[in-house]
Amino acid sequence: MFCEKAVELIRELHRISDGQLPAFNEDGLRQVLQEMEALYDQNQADVNEAKSEGRAELIPSIKVRHCCLLRDQRCVTAYLYDRLLRIRALRWEYGSVLPANVRFHMCAEENFRMTIVVLSQLQWFSQYKKSLASFMRSLGGGEGLDITQDMKPPKSLYIEVRCLKDHGEFEIDDGTVILLKKNSQVVLGVAWDILSCVCVMSVSLCPQHFLPRWKCEQLIRQGVLEHVVS
Amino acid sequence: MNTQAYLPVQPGVGMEENFFSLDDILLSQERLPVRTECAFPRLGFLEKSSDSQDIAEGTKMELPLWLSKGLYERKRRILSVELPKVYREGWRTVFNADPRVVDLHKMGPYYYGLGSQMLHFDSPENPDIAQTLLQTFIGRFRRTMDSSQNAYNEDTSAVVERLDCLEKVLFRSGQTGLHGFQSWEKGQASQLTASSLVLNYRKRKITDVQP
Amino acid sequence: MSDVLSDAGSDSNHDDSQEDVMTPAELIAKLEEAWLNEKFSPELLENKSEVVECVMEQLTHMEANLQRVKKGDAKASVHRMEIDRIRFVLSSYLRSRLQKIEKFFPHVLEREKSRGEGEPSLLSPEEFAFAKEYLANTETYLKAVALKRMPPNLQTVDMLKAVPEPCLDSFVFLRVKERQENILVEPETDDQREYVVDLEEGSQHLMRYRTIAPLVSSGAVQLI
Repeated sequence: MFCEKAVELIRELHRISDGQLPAFNEDGLRQVLQEMEALYDQNQADVNEAKSEGRAELIPSIKVRHCCLLRDQRCVTAYLYDRLLRIRALRWEYGSVLPANVRFHMCAEENFRMTIVVLSQLQWFSQYKKSLASFMRSLGGGEGLDITQDMKPPKSLYIEVRCLKDHGEFEIDDGTVILLKKNSQVVLGVAWDILSCVCVMSVSLCPQHFLPRWKCEQLIRQGVLEHVVS
Repeated sequence: MNTQAYLPVQPGVGMEENFFSLDDILLSQERLPVRTECAFPRLGFLEKSSDSQDIAEGTKMELPLWLSKGLYERKRRILSVELPKVYREGWRTVFNADPRVVDLHKMGPYYYGLGSQMLHFDSPENPDIAQTLLQTFIGRFRRTMDSSQNAYNEDTSAVVERLDCLEKVLFRSGQTGLHGFQSWEKGQASQLTASSLVLNYRKRKITDVQP
Repeated sequence: MSDVLSDAGSDSNHDDSQEDVMTPAELIAKLEEAWLNEKFSPELLENKSEVVECVMEQLTHMEANLQRVKKGDAKASVHRMEIDRIRFVLSSYLRSRLQKIEKFFPHVLEREKSRGEGEPSLLSPEEFAFAKEYLANTETYLKAVALKRMPPNLQTVDMLKAVPEPCLDSFVFLRVKERQENILVEPETDDQREYVVDLEEGSQHLMRYRTIAPLVSSGAVQLI
């Protein structure tokens, strides 16, 4: 049957329903495009024959091929569109800089070869980031507001977090630099302003820090810190 | 609360199909028994059982829903579409007797979706099909909802494996609600958590993604 | 929340060009109303840029005032919490809108195009810019990767047909703020007839969004 390759592309994405981005199946896409070309050529030939020789009985088959062409087109664009939705998710989950292992998924299977497909995906992503950034910057008459933060309503003044990974140095608003080391227990405060005096002391004494909550939200989402609920 | 950032295109409602919906594309891949009402020259290779170059008029074969829908015309009929067994009168009687005992995953898994799509083809049985679909859904809904709202930390696979795709979605949304409520009750709703997407990406090694 | 706002705003000089007098409490109530409606309605509602701008201004005031409060003042932490809470509602509101814009962009832009003069705009100027860029970006991508490599008659996809429209037949919960008479309810099944209901002030209902959409935009009902 026609269009099997095209549906295979869709199945590939459908199997990964959590929104992860699988490597781009460039080979699959190429095969679908080849099938489309063949269908189109065959139809052109049959249309000409039907016209010039008055062979109206060819029309049903022409219709079949046309349906297949539309089906291929639908599957391919749906494949691409769904990939965009997954790429979009990366911006919201990881922030604007993607880790290397995730960048990989934007690419085709043959490593980081810069094909038109890969390039176009990266372009879409960077334009999306740009659009989102200028939208957020322009909020409130140019004041700006980062709406990718504050994903849950704040409930408490402090949050306690555990550091799951060595993340290196991290700068707090007041310029203090703290070291986020694996397994260190950290208390992060929403009300960091009233406690910043304590903060300076604690940094030197033990790995306990007070950070504005919005600064750690992203680190928690990325799995660097874990929010401990006592 | 919706913290999931991947928001796939939802399937269409009722008789509608959404162009970009992966679910709808897979639904329209379901095969229907058809009978050709004219010859299809030069497409004989699509019909495995014969060696002829053409598909002859009057051939009985199976075609996917998308093709049957694309070729179907009321005026100039080149194809007649037959009902798949589960929508025929025999099965309708079974469904109407007690819809709760039927394994809709086996019968489907797009029992409601495909059934609604069948209404695109002119058939005198359409009102009865529609009625059966609706009654089946209503008849099973309470049980689906009850179990999704009450099964907390229980193995629900026995219930879920007999559900149609649409029912599965409803079941899952009920479970999400239940878990959300439980975690709120335990005071965990405000806990900031790592994105499940991030965690899943990390679990997968790069070698796994190569097809 | 209101208390903190007026408190925080009181010692700042009010040079604002706010013509209509709105107390901070009313402002936050307006934001919450818009937020809940936007969160629960299946379609994008009319933009409330003026509310967004006023709230942003308030937040700036409060932040500025907080800077002047002495370190260690217990009141400051309460204020900080309030700022965070308001900022959450505001962000969540803007997020819901952006999500719907991304979900329905061709339709949102189409409505904007066919909007009559003097009719209020669905999109704020920033949202309009975002939606236009999103459409252009997506079309460019589809074209470059696949469409332009397809046969000549298949090189375009009508985005209005491809991207689904909001489902106005979804059901929503609502609370009535102003009594309504003779609301026409469409039949659910063939053997039902349409009928009219009166919605009493303060009562709560579960109804088809389409039926009460005009009441949401007029502010007569609140989605919950």
